[in-house]
Amino acid sequence: MKKIDKIVFGDNQFFGINHMSQEKAQQQAEKFFDINNIFRVYENVLESGINGIMLNSNDRAREICDYFRENQDKFDAVNFYPSIPYPHKYANMIAEKGILPTINEALFKGNSSRNILSMISRGGSALVTKDAMKLMTMLVDVEMKMFHGLNVKVVFLQNIITDLMLGYGIKEVFVAYSEHIWATYNAAPGFITQNLPLLYKRLKEWGIEDVVICASFNKIGYLMSPDREAYEKIVEENDSEKYQIMAMSTLASGAIPAQEAYEYINKQNIQSVVFGASSKKNIDQTSSLIKL
Amino acid sequence: MIKIGIIGIGRMGISHHAILNSNDKVKITALADNSKFMLSIMKTYLDVSVYTSWQKMLEIEELDAIIVSTPPTFHYEIIKGAFDSGLHVFVEKPFTVNLNEARELTSLFKGSGLINQVGYVNRFNDVFNSIHSLLNKGVIGEIIRFKSEMFANTISEPDDGGSSWRSSTETGGGAVFELASHAIDLVNYLIGEPDRVVGSSLNQIYSKNVEDAVSSTFLYKDGKSGSVYINWCEYSYRKPANKVEIFGTKGKIIADQHSFKIFMTTPNEEHGFRAGWNIRYITDVYRNAAIDIRGTEFSHQLAHFIDCIEIGNSENISSFSEGLRTHRIIAKIFDNNSTNIVT
Repeated sequence: MKKIDKIVFGDNQFFGINHMSQEKAQQQAEKFFDINNIFRVYENVLESGINGIMLNSNDRAREICDYFRENQDKFDAVNFYPSIPYPHKYANMIAEKGILPTINEALFKGNSSRNILSMISRGGSALVTKDAMKLMTMLVDVEMKMFHGLNVKVVFLQNIITDLMLGYGIKEVFVAYSEHIWATYNAAPGFITQNLPLLYKRLKEWGIEDVVICASFNKIGYLMSPDREAYEKIVEENDSEKYQIMAMSTLASGAIPAQEAYEYINKQNIQSVVFGASSKKNIDQTSSLIKL
Repeated sequence: MIKIGIIGIGRMGISHHAILNSNDKVKITALADNSKFMLSIMKTYLDVSVYTSWQKMLEIEELDAIIVSTPPTFHYEIIKGAFDSGLHVFVEKPFTVNLNEARELTSLFKGSGLINQVGYVNRFNDVFNSIHSLLNKGVIGEIIRFKSEMFANTISEPDDGGSSWRSSTETGGGAVFELASHAIDLVNYLIGEPDRVVGSSLNQIYSKNVEDAVSSTFLYKDGKSGSVYINWCEYSYRKPANKVEIFGTKGKIIADQHSFKIFMTTPNEEHGFRAGWNIRYITDVYRNAAIDIRGTEFSHQLAHFIDCIEIGNSENISSFSEGLRTHRIIAKIFDNNSTNIVT
């Protein structure tokens, strides 16, 4: 499998996401309301020598992708790590409209001649069920549209979907997703999870290899279910030719000082770290502390 | 092995299903829903029996418990059916769509030995749990004032006043049932049930037939009082947020799901609080779960339900009688709203 970048720059800070403090999240969201402030941060990222960028397929990412394409010379050497879908868009739609209308709107918005409800009435629900995996790959393609023309290395499935399917234990979803990502995007399939030990166990059982797993990994065991020890054991015994591990939440949303956090991370058999920061100083400092 | 059936496989139903599916003590053996599409997908990929009629499911399947995650208007009938079949029940919030139903179901289950739980998930959040225990220990003294707020961006555009269950109060739609129930339950859990509910106001923002924002004042015989304010058209929030502020004689707490700040008038050595502001983050009080699908509180809440069934413990943290308290308050809010009445 192609080696992933050791350091990947994340995007949570741009979109008001902070697991520890809603107040902090809001302050950041205000700061990055002006998209030029986001572009400025990416300049700093390039300057500090980071060549991996993770971006979630939310509405603002569309504009950011345009910017990357318009400045292709500058971002030529950068590998992109999209994560899909933007879960809150779907969560709200499902709450308001139901699951089926949500899928319908996502796939066929603005195309009234085709829709899933008429597919069902024409072919019966059995037909749609048989094609549930096809439906899933169609949804993937909708989310991936905004990244066209960018050098995509890994396509990550967001943890809310990964973990839901993991809870259900539906192997077919993981197989179909992986095959689709390789075939359509010539990129590695990736899974973001809050349950690394369980996901790892299942992927091995199901014979799914050559994937990237992105999971919370930090010294205090935050967002590491069932416990930190299970995570440490997995990475210690892991063959990184088959499964590359990317650590996220390494600072536990700021609960661990950077120096201490990366002293711990550097000791683990981890292939990559995704982190987010807003200031040039923090970007430079963090990238100098990560020594995988 | 505890055999469970799930009735209603929408957003909450599938999340409960996936969480329970990874619990070794449990087997989800049957699903009921009116969507043939969802049922046929489930049947294709999972080892479950599926039913378009929940009555049929209860009749045919040998179950120990059910999860009810249908629109709230069906809760009452389903829970009565479950009681007749001798099943433990976990029901999503709001418990029912009116006070009478909640009363009847609560007394039905009382003393029956059947575990009953309402999905007020904040009771299983690690921050709110910590505050619950700090308040019980009297760390901030006697409570005088409080504020419980919740904001979400659930409804983001005008509706057509349509016919779904969400667009009518009678069927459990509207921000009071959907969202305020969480903020009210949090008051019940942390502070207790008020004796009087006054000065309630309901606003419409995008909805045609139901309220989108509500505020209300809670009064207690012992003199404490507080306010509740929720808005589910809050475009400035990316995710639903609960906020609680409690002022006591010896200190003050400001909390959300992720962190809390506590101001102490004097130091408290037992909890490591100095005089003045102290900040605790979720990372300080966090408990991992067996599986984390959409936040560990959702896993903890179902683990509690299963534990209660397993050990026959009827002291459920979020039992029907807790759900009933919230309904008593909701009934008072709809009774005496004095301004911006939804017509």
